[in-house]
Amino acid sequence: MLRIENLKKRFAGKKALKGISFEVKRGVIHGLLGHNGAGKSTTLGIVLAMISADGGEVFIDGVSVQKEQVKALRKVGAIFEAPSFYDYMSGWENLKVLVGLSGKFDHGQALDIVERVGLSDRIHSKVGAYSHGMRQRLALAQALLPEPEILLLDEPTDGLDPEGIKWFRDFIVNLRNERGMTVLFNSHLLSEVELMCDRVSIIREGALVFEGDVNDLRDDRLGFKISAEPIDVLKSVVDEFGGEWLTKSRCLFPPEHRVANVVERLVGAGAKVHEVTPVRRSLEDVYLEFSKESSCS
Amino acid sequence: MFLSQLRGELRKLFARRRTYLGYVVFIVFEVLILTLWVKVGRDKVAELAERNLIPMEQLYSSLTSTYWIMGGSMFLLGSIYFALVGGDIVAKESEDGNLRMVLSRPVSRLRVLLLKYFAVVIYTVTFVIFVGITGYGMSVLALGAGGGLFVWNPNLYILSVYPEWGEGFIRLFVGACFMGLSMCVVSSLAFFFSCFKMKPAAATIMALSVFFIDFVLQNMPFLRGVKHVFITYRMENWAYLLQEEIPWARIVESYTILSGLNISLFIVGWMVFQSRDFKT
Repeated sequence: MLRIENLKKRFAGKKALKGISFEVKRGVIHGLLGHNGAGKSTTLGIVLAMISADGGEVFIDGVSVQKEQVKALRKVGAIFEAPSFYDYMSGWENLKVLVGLSGKFDHGQALDIVERVGLSDRIHSKVGAYSHGMRQRLALAQALLPEPEILLLDEPTDGLDPEGIKWFRDFIVNLRNERGMTVLFNSHLLSEVELMCDRVSIIREGALVFEGDVNDLRDDRLGFKISAEPIDVLKSVVDEFGGEWLTKSRCLFPPEHRVANVVERLVGAGAKVHEVTPVRRSLEDVYLEFSKESSCS
Repeated sequence: MFLSQLRGELRKLFARRRTYLGYVVFIVFEVLILTLWVKVGRDKVAELAERNLIPMEQLYSSLTSTYWIMGGSMFLLGSIYFALVGGDIVAKESEDGNLRMVLSRPVSRLRVLLLKYFAVVIYTVTFVIFVGITGYGMSVLALGAGGGLFVWNPNLYILSVYPEWGEGFIRLFVGACFMGLSMCVVSSLAFFFSCFKMKPAAATIMALSVFFIDFVLQNMPFLRGVKHVFITYRMENWAYLLQEEIPWARIVESYTILSGLNISLFIVGWMVFQSRDFKT
């Protein structure tokens, strides 16, 4: 549905994107993960033709954004971190103006979407009086009109309260489940990506450091939180098993090692093992790991 | 579809309070100038009429006072509001982030700019006509409906008298329409600067600076011989429509130049806008 090929971009001589390529398959929620300034928003900006690429190309359903911007964007709806509406107009008027740019404004369809996002009661109030959560719902409504096939979300849950985040997440997942909506979801909130996305691409300093399935990432290795003393014995065991220190008392071991073997070796070396807790490796661990690998190489 | 999108753009423009600032100021100004015209101006006008052997009812009339309201104020006062609206139209949306929402839709940047430019042009022309209509309406309330039109423009060497209300009205109405076209140059200048990456206030000030510098230079005595090269001189040429013998060649020449300038400002502004990156 969305294909990004070798995107390059410089801002004031500094490389913001260093040849990023990845693909978002139809009906998939794809997370684009990276720290602030990694290049996620620049990538999204190029996909929406708001930023010109120095190299590379973006295809939406086979149509090049760079060559046929209007045609390519007909299938796209987008939401930004802080959606900026015309505050002096009502939500409904904002929808009419913005959706009107895509073609004809369908009254019935708009009413239906407004109801779905839960804004029916306040749609005729001025947007200036909306809370952040309401603005985000209005942004969702405008993105879903007239009828996009792919949604581009740029850190959409930033600033929302936990209830708002859950509502938003459920809404997007439902859209995918019910309508087969394709979603590209930009975020630095790892938990969000973990909860929502099927696939993930990780960007660091303008380069893609990982692309793959979220579940694969989570399950491919098991970690153990080990509390033992003396530390030098623990260290020697960690070195021997090829474990990796995450914190002072926490390390990861490759899946081929069984926890019993590690504990047996520690006890055999005279260490007192206080606690062994299996820890499912989080996306955060993976992100940090890939980021580190990328910076080392 | 373009017309419905233009309606949307106009809806945005006229939903903002600051768009009406100029209307309010001009109504206050009209009340002020008419009050002075009635209270203080009558004797002066009578003196002028006697000296030039012109019947008093042609000088002291609603049409003549409308001419003074429009001709005397639009250039200096109106230009501020046209620059304000023109300077805001792109730069304010860019600053507020509204353009991200607009540009994420399947619409070309050229179309977005065309919609905004047409909205500004419509605002400018209708504003001038509004000032003409309200100015005339208030003049009728203050001075009565009858009387002719007396036109005096020392800068363009125009001195005309239209004793009949009908001819005076038509001349003034056509003149006002051309004045609206002239004022589009100020709006185009502000629009042009608005396409750059700058604050709306900066775009407004830049446009007004160019306009006033041109105006000041045009009025320098030693540059009188080359006055025709200045934009503001060309803009003033609407007044020739109030001259008894209308110099059509000069009017066509001036409005061709002004139209060319407007189109050039739009094209360069569009090229700048097209090359800009809008970070999400």
